Amino acid sequence: MTKELHENVCDEIIFKGLYNKYAAELHDYLYYKYGEQCNPKDKAQDAFIKLWENCKKVLLTTARGFLYKVASNMVLNDIKHQKVVLRYQQEKPQAHTIENPEFLMEKEQYFKMYQQALAKLSEDQRVAFMLNKVEGKKHEEIAQLIGVTRKVVEYRIYSAFSILKTELENFRIK
Amino acid sequence: MDQNSLLEKWLNNTLSDTEMEAFQELDDYLFYKDIVEDASRFKASSFSAVADFDALRKRLPQKTPRVRKLSSRHWLLRIASVFVIGFALYYFFLFGTDVSVVTLVGQKTTIELPDASVVVLNALSEIEYSKKGWVNNKSLNLIGEAFFDVTKGATFDVITPSGTVTVVGTEFNVKHRGTAFEVACYEGIVQVTSGQYSEELREGDRLRLSDGKIYVGKTTYHSPQWTRNISDFQQIPFLEVIEELERQYHIKVILKEVPKETLFTGGFVHNHLENALRSIAEPMDLDFEITHNNEVTLIKREN
Repeated sequence: MTKELHENVCDEIIFKGLYNKYAAELHDYLYYKYGEQCNPKDKAQDAFIKLWENCKKVLLTTARGFLYKVASNMVLNDIKHQKVVLRYQQEKPQAHTIENPEFLMEKEQYFKMYQQALAKLSEDQRVAFMLNKVEGKKHEEIAQLIGVTRKVVEYRIYSAFSILKTELENFRIK
Repeated sequence: MDQNSLLEKWLNNTLSDTEMEAFQELDDYLFYKDIVEDASRFKASSFSAVADFDALRKRLPQKTPRVRKLSSRHWLLRIASVFVIGFALYYFFLFGTDVSVVTLVGQKTTIELPDASVVVLNALSEIEYSKKGWVNNKSLNLIGEAFFDVTKGATFDVITPSGTVTVVGTEFNVKHRGTAFEVACYEGIVQVTSGQYSEELREGDRLRLSDGKIYVGKTTYHSPQWTRNISDFQQIPFLEVIEELERQYHIKVILKEVPKETLFTGGFVHNHLENALRSIAEPMDLDFEITHNNEVTLIKREN
């Protein structure tokens, strides 16, 4: 029975299923952790190619963990840790209300500040925070992906939030 | 419950209903809420996404195993079917590996593995290993001959087409030429496996597998002689001695009425061809002649 599982990853239909299931989230993980500059699109695909090359040695159940580990290693070998500056979506000007320029400017400054605050987070903190709050992943799931305990994930999210809170202090609604 | 505890629980999504009410009463509640909601402005998929599977499929390497021919020098390719495992290992030889070091005729080189183990490669040899995969899968593939000085506590496999050597913090030599497979241990313990056969070698032991036969003997040296630019043989078929000579010098040897199977004990230096030839011709009762295009003829002496 185990032998069948081994060969499954080498089955193109199953491999394609793995891709459709995990490629996007793997890409997002790399994006949050290392930023756009690490070329997450290619790195995510490279990880799958590595999986394909090793498909005989990887169990179907451990494929996801394999992908994350391989992808992380690939990026680590590449980049010299540059500051990770994530892009943000601009506010769309509302057609029916007239926003005064001062308000818009403040919003812009707020997001610039937020962007810098995110860059100040450690890679681990940023990944945990974004995967949980933006991508909606549960703590336990994140813990399994990264290979740490749930408590560590909780701690990283809390630390990330504390830093964001401090950095954005000036924009607190009075 | 104080603010920080509520905040912690809120971030963990573990607030009870009453605690949630209390949290929402906080002055900073909206501030906190905004921080979390505004994070979505940075969502990855708004700016970058992987290509679809079809794009990946084009990049996938073909699955047919590559069969590499052994370098054609004067080695007779008598690949014994006894070592069935050799074939299986051979197919995975170049599979997913990263670093490849090759030596040419008369060349030796020293390299360092990711765990600080040192490998000295003899002439016409090749080792391959995956640098990135080293942490999980410590093994390297070897064709030819190499001497290993392994970091204490480190463990890895040396895979040759004829057998595998598993080591733990030791010094040992592995030789795989033609179908002959020799391992000598200079320090520590190594485990040698070939097909069903498995043997543990300790300091001073040497093992030779050739044509399905096994010889176990001793060595008194502390490291292989070839690393000191001397080739040394103990009861080795003369043809193998000639082949090693051709590997160390850029020559072609022609044998006239020379007994190739005679067991030879002796050695030759790597830096002086005439002396080397004398060292192997004399004991075998042969004459030698060097012609100008790097050819050497060995002829049996007439008595």
